[in-house]
Amino acid sequence: MKASTVRRVGGRLASLFASLLIALSLAFLLGRLSGDPTATILGPMAPPEQREALRHQLGLDLPVVVQYLDYLKGVFTGDLGQSLQFYQSNTSMIADRLPYTLQLVGAGMALALLVGVPLGVLAATREGTWWDRGASTLALLGQSVPVFWFGMMLVVLFAVKLGWLPAGQSGSPRHLILPALTMSVYPMAHIARLTRASMSDALAEPYIDSARARGISTRRVVWRHAFTNAMMPILTIVVLQTGILLSGAVAVEYVYSWPGLGQLALQAIQFRDFPLVQAIVVFGALVFVLLNLLVDVLHSIVDPRVR
Amino acid sequence: MSVLLKLSGLSITARLADGELTLLDDVDLEIRRGQIVGVVGESGSGKTTLARAVVGLLDRNVRVDRGTVTVGDEQVVAPGVDRTARVRGSAVGMVFQDASRSLNPLLKVRTQLAEVLRRHVRDITRAEVERRSVEVLAQMRIDDPGRVLASYPHQLSGGLRQRVAIGLAVVTRPALVIADECTTALDVTTQTKVVDLFRTLVDELGIGLLFVTHDLMLASDLCDRIAVMSGGRVVEQGDALTVLDRPQQEYTRRLLAAIPSWS
Repeated sequence: MKASTVRRVGGRLASLFASLLIALSLAFLLGRLSGDPTATILGPMAPPEQREALRHQLGLDLPVVVQYLDYLKGVFTGDLGQSLQFYQSNTSMIADRLPYTLQLVGAGMALALLVGVPLGVLAATREGTWWDRGASTLALLGQSVPVFWFGMMLVVLFAVKLGWLPAGQSGSPRHLILPALTMSVYPMAHIARLTRASMSDALAEPYIDSARARGISTRRVVWRHAFTNAMMPILTIVVLQTGILLSGAVAVEYVYSWPGLGQLALQAIQFRDFPLVQAIVVFGALVFVLLNLLVDVLHSIVDPRVR
Repeated sequence: MSVLLKLSGLSITARLADGELTLLDDVDLEIRRGQIVGVVGESGSGKTTLARAVVGLLDRNVRVDRGTVTVGDEQVVAPGVDRTARVRGSAVGMVFQDASRSLNPLLKVRTQLAEVLRRHVRDITRAEVERRSVEVLAQMRIDDPGRVLASYPHQLSGGLRQRVAIGLAVVTRPALVIADECTTALDVTTQTKVVDLFRTLVDELGIGLLFVTHDLMLASDLCDRIAVMSGGRVVEQGDALTVLDRPQQEYTRRLLAAIPSWS
């Protein structure tokens, strides 16, 4: 490996670590700003001595700096603390809920890609035609529709009126269809619009005309020459969008009572269970940093110029 | 000498939002084997449209009204007819304005040459692809074809990329090569080398070359015949020396007068 590559990779890792540290600190601070959890746990009528005892038990009477350092130590040893309402380790609760969220996000993003990319390519290769206008309008609509409303409309239609699919909760693949569809709408529209823009830029590049002049078939020119060049922004968005959804598809999980991380986060917030909120935020930050790293790796695989 | 390319009365218009624009108006042109024909004119004179019409790379809003384009024995363009796909990349090779940007940045030179060869040479073997790739780069006067084949475009100098782009156009051994302003983006030294390269290619391979440029002096250096274009028409056409020494048309005289001189 060249020295410049090592330096660049090192710099990148350092900046990712710095963002992670900032995210962790913010999660800690926001948890402290949300008020005294002992009031929620014990109720407003609890005597002061009892609250004081609980504060001591939870370590809340220690100086903030000490709490902060304890918290950082926990994060880096995989201990995200105890939930105040479930009396369980936060790490194990996140691990329990994660598979559900993964299912949902996996299915939703797959659907978004399978529809969004071809739609964007279709619009870009037929720029200015009715295909293009139709696809762009559809994408704009998809990005503007509120997720919770769209989810409820699907429930009304497919669960209540037609009775084809379950209205909520998890269990069978059939349970997955409506939530995944709901979740896919926004990223699908985003991907379609981005693909359209990125492809249309790539198709205007001189090497596209050159490839056509060399007699390369239209399909090959579009996919092998234009699409591979247009792919990087799309990959970036797909990966980052996955990160956003993984760390809390709150609206979709709420509408469908889907037992994923979003639900857990919502319960934690409502109960002022700040260790759990913090743990979920920390988990999200970790996922995000790792996915950013993944984007960098993918970028260097796709584009020889950044190797 | 056999005629490689023949344009007869070719007229092309573009449909714009506010009416129609004539891009080519009744253009006649002929290129024979071993001949270099220069098409000169200022921006917007229609020379690029002419070049692109031969390989069918016209924009969607552009239409052939009258006339034909014949490549070899095959009529490839006529009103409502576009058979350019049959000659594109096989009988006709094309080199573009910004040759160094006409290479796909994500693919190695080897991959791009192989793609063209596989497309046009039926049942070509892997070894044959490699042999012809090396051969064409050597023809482009590239000293270390092995290294260039294994490189991505950004790892090569501008001059080398230019040669690779020309190599990509001639690797399928077309009878006719069209070069559209392909020296414009280069410095003068590289430009001279490229022009010399074209001359050698025409002499060695006996191809015909359609050389589109706005540079009259360059055209006079390289070309056997010159067609001067203005406003979509060929205003003067003939032997290169005759056109430059005894221009018949006022427009050509003005173009010549516009060249700065030492005296």
